Amino acid sequence: MPVDQSISIKKIKESLEADVIVGDDLTGVSAKHIYASDLMSDVLAYGKTGSVLLTGLNTIQAVISSYMAEFTAIIFLRGKKPGSDMQKFAKDKDITILSTKADMYEACIKIARIDGNLPITEGVPIHTKEEDNITSHEFKIDGHDFASAGMVSTQIKSILKTIGYDPLIIRRIAISTYEGEMNVVMHAIRAKVTLNAGNKEIVVIIDDEGKGIPDVERAMQQGYSTATEEQRALGFGSGMGLPNIKKNSDLLNVTSEIGKGTKLEIKFFVK
Amino acid sequence: MKLQEIIDKLDLKILTNIEDKEVEGVFISDMLSDVMTSAKPDDLWLTVQTHTNTVSAVNLIDMAAMVVTQGKVVPQNTIELANRYHVVILSTPYTTFELATKLVGIGLKAT
Amino acid sequence: MQEEKCSHSWKMVNIAYGFVITEKCYQTDKVATYFTFEHKPPLEEYREGDHFWNVMESAQSFRFDLKCTKCGLITTFNELMGLMMCTGCDKTCEVDIIREKLASDRTWVYVAFGFLPINERKQLTQEKILILENYFNQRRKSSKSRIKIVSHEIVKNFATCYAEVIKDIDMLCLTAPEGE
Repeated sequence: MPVDQSISIKKIKESLEADVIVGDDLTGVSAKHIYASDLMSDVLAYGKTGSVLLTGLNTIQAVISSYMAEFTAIIFLRGKKPGSDMQKFAKDKDITILSTKADMYEACIKIARIDGNLPITEGVPIHTKEEDNITSHEFKIDGHDFASAGMVSTQIKSILKTIGYDPLIIRRIAISTYEGEMNVVMHAIRAKVTLNAGNKEIVVIIDDEGKGIPDVERAMQQGYSTATEEQRALGFGSGMGLPNIKKNSDLLNVTSEIGKGTKLEIKFFVK
Repeated sequence: MKLQEIIDKLDLKILTNIEDKEVEGVFISDMLSDVMTSAKPDDLWLTVQTHTNTVSAVNLIDMAAMVVTQGKVVPQNTIELANRYHVVILSTPYTTFELATKLVGIGLKAT
Repeated sequence: MQEEKCSHSWKMVNIAYGFVITEKCYQTDKVATYFTFEHKPPLEEYREGDHFWNVMESAQSFRFDLKCTKCGLITTFNELMGLMMCTGCDKTCEVDIIREKLASDRTWVYVAFGFLPINERKQLTQEKILILENYFNQRRKSSKSRIKIVSHEIVKNFATCYAEVIKDIDMLCLTAPEGE
């Protein structure tokens, strides 16, 4: 298999005769995969990192989904041009946006003709439920990025829904992940979130860089029944949300180091 | 190109009753609003949408058939409605992009 | 002087994308729909006289005109909110009766409906409905099937109608819809 499987966005721009809407420097921007779709819940669930989105959906959801799925660029088809809100979001998140008059079939054909190698799935269906099949996803959260707060839990919820887990377990996972995510946004510098979804259990790991929690046991105990303002004043700010996470999960493991950060390992058992 | 030829060459799975159709072009979109403005009669429609209203869109435009990509499961009620209204629904595990590259490979040009 | 009648050949032009917003007044239960080009439809509740409107739904949509390629005549369709295919849910409904009659000829019946409230908004004329029907039929090549468009006025009960509305569902939400 060739080492570098990708197509440069410059070549794509040329072949589609596309206009650059967002993107000062196209050098270094490339496509590892091409995702042709207007259904953003699919993009969230199946989209691979480093992909370029071809779409006719000219709304902010297309940009948000591309960002969450870690796509490098979006190409709007049929001459559709994104509005200023969409452009601003893309610019902030370093996503290149092009616009072409071509429709989706024409765009796919032209891109396929460009020199370069794109991995083909060989016709294997994207969702096969095998024994003990575990699907893993990784996400990033930036502290104090309130504009994006909630996106990781939304993306995780989408993936779990698409795989087909029971809605009740999804709800518990979404709530727990959301609490954990908000905690990072409010109190940490950044975090890495890992989702491991298997047939028997689902594990969400939130590993942050931050001030850490002074007294984990106390934060879990007291908060469990009374999450209050006074707790925050006592310095348990960064432990907030733990009670709710504990309530909604089957197993919660918290490790924390003052001045370094906190790691939450949240387990849910699939019945 | 005959629909059956495309089905055979690309190993598409037939989910509904089959009919003899002539395919003139390919239309790709998951937005029914785009179908209404841009799809043409006798187009082969590639989509991941599986809702019953896709049947409504196929017949309004008179597209040749609908191919559901990415191995998406088509609900029984959509298949039943399609059979009642003579709409052909096909399925493939390939992604939309991959199927598009295969279609041009067997000779279906962009119109 | 006799007016030359053009047997029009239609083409869709002036396509503009937007949204159809559905609002409901929680005081009177009144429902209203309208088309807007706004990228960001108003999501806050607002008061208008006796009504307190809340946005219920926002869906992708578009507007278009039909232009005759022979004589240049343009017909606008701003009163059209959507088209839906009759699926024959009520044998006593006039639309179903028409559907049943035309089914063996492979003529599919579609209902053109306008914006709500029906009695307060300008609705499509029969003439425009016929033009729209001609547009979709003229394009057909293999001509094994045709369509017939009827006005929503003959739908027996809109609230219980099972016609398949051609519209984008769940495009603006980020998680997979229920039941998938």
